[in-house]
Amino acid sequence: MRWIAIGCVLVASLLATQVFNIHFSLLPIYIIVAIMAWYNLILFIQARDLKTEAGESRPKGLVVPLQLPLRRLLMLPKATSPLVAQARAIGNLHIFLDLLVLTVLLHFTGGIENPFIFYFVFHVIIAGILLHYRVAYVVASVAILLVLLLVGLEYNGVIPHVHLEGFIFVNRYEQGTYVLGILVALATCLYAAAYMVTNLSRELRRQQRELVSLKDSAIREKTKDLREATKELTKLEEGRKHLLRFLGVVAHDLKAPLSAVQSYLQLMTGGFAGEMTDKQKHMLERSSTRITEQLHLISDLLDISRIEAGQMITEFEKVSLSQTVRDSLDNVRGLAKEKKIVLKVERPRTLPQIKASGARLQQVMTNLLANAIKFTPEKGVVRLRIRNRASDIQVEVMDTGIGIAAEDLTKIFDDFYRGIEPTKEGTGLGLSIAKRIVEAHGGRIWAESPNPDDESARGSRFTFTLPKNFVPVGKK
Amino acid sequence: MPEKILVVDDDPDMRDAITIILESRGYQIVTAQDGVEALANLKAEKPDLMMLDLLMPKMDGFAVMKELQDARWAKYREIPILILSSVREEASRRRYELETALTLEVDDYVEKPIAPDILLERVEKLLQKRKKPES
Repeated sequence: MRWIAIGCVLVASLLATQVFNIHFSLLPIYIIVAIMAWYNLILFIQARDLKTEAGESRPKGLVVPLQLPLRRLLMLPKATSPLVAQARAIGNLHIFLDLLVLTVLLHFTGGIENPFIFYFVFHVIIAGILLHYRVAYVVASVAILLVLLLVGLEYNGVIPHVHLEGFIFVNRYEQGTYVLGILVALATCLYAAAYMVTNLSRELRRQQRELVSLKDSAIREKTKDLREATKELTKLEEGRKHLLRFLGVVAHDLKAPLSAVQSYLQLMTGGFAGEMTDKQKHMLERSSTRITEQLHLISDLLDISRIEAGQMITEFEKVSLSQTVRDSLDNVRGLAKEKKIVLKVERPRTLPQIKASGARLQQVMTNLLANAIKFTPEKGVVRLRIRNRASDIQVEVMDTGIGIAAEDLTKIFDDFYRGIEPTKEGTGLGLSIAKRIVEAHGGRIWAESPNPDDESARGSRFTFTLPKNFVPVGKK
Repeated sequence: MPEKILVVDDDPDMRDAITIILESRGYQIVTAQDGVEALANLKAEKPDLMMLDLLMPKMDGFAVMKELQDARWAKYREIPILILSSVREEASRRRYELETALTLEVDDYVEKPIAPDILLERVEKLLQKRKKPES
């Protein structure tokens, strides 16, 4: 803005002298323009440094000492930071320098004769917008004082008057009433401008402050909410860890005494503690079987609790499906051999690695294979087929057993469901655990009977899927 | 001379049952009820095999396995270890593998409750494995 002003002074002066034949000396104007350009440059650089270096360790130069008395005089509120103080100081200094320069310029371009005398109004407007509103009034007053001083001195002949030849009457500056009229007009103009601008800018600033404080409080509120949510999450996570630790201890303490009893029972039935009657042996064998069932039930119940407490998420890692399949088959090979059942495996040569709980997937496959073997008559066939599909892996376990009744098909994945005619063995939790595990991997599990893939429509088929790009919900 | 086996378990009945099974085959048995005692007996008795329970008070089986990886125990490293683990406690096996960076082979652990014939089979296998490199 100031650069434009400087340019305009030059252009206006040249136009006045050259085009309109108004004669006055150009030399002082050039000097004034040069001074303006010089201090403008200095303050401009200082203001820029203020922005880039945030005012740190900058020599404060001549600006701040000038600022202090002005602040005291106007009872301006203390700046909130040294940066703001310095910015204000530069602004204030600049505006008063401008006033002085315009006055001197006016002196050399006809004083009261120059209509540009009203340009003081711009200083007032700038001060009103950019600086404190009291500064605007001070600027107006100082401008009037300066003009008063100028025309007064010229009127009384203390300093020489520069006449704008060819523009206006020579003796205009000596006509008291005219000078007074101009002065009154100027004074009212400046004060009115100061009043309007400061009111306007005060209102604008108030709105801005309200907006900022509103935004601040909204951000504070959000931050608070976030902090509380995080705290809540941490608490939940701690609760889960606590529960899992607790379940670990429960698992051990429930099983330890049963294991000890079972070990003794097996010692006795194994003949390590002397001979027994057949009746005694039978009773101990039954006891042993019941304890084994109890141990399995405890394991199953704890499995469910652990899965529901989210333990599996902590077990997720890159798992080699080939290894899982191999291990599961190893687990059931003994069972199959006992019943002379053939295990047929159809699988692609390579299987991808997926994010999963390897131990749990092995548990599912082992469970399905063991079930299939259990329900297939001797010398039958159990097939395991694995397909690597576009977005998931499909695992099918097919048996040639008695099949599953239609009304059982939908319920076999329920907790404790043992079928319409309950079988003696098993806890009734195996398939419900398998379902939980598969679903925790983002997959699906279902059963069909008779096996749609069997040419003589026998047996049943259990299928589960594992998405390849599953992202488990919850914390790692 | 019969082979000496160190049995480490916090459950006295478990120690008793295992001792009865192993003594029936003429093995010499030393027992310990926690990890600290186990390490002390390992030094004092120099057994041919150690049976180690994982979950014990004071110093547990995981801590014992970690301690044995230290250089100070280098000359005891040849002693085979048979881990005693609970039925279907995949978690404890996984933790074992995570904490010791060792994978558990089927031959290296027995599940509780202890089936006498399986225990004897494992013990024999491990002792034979140990003998082979020496002969």
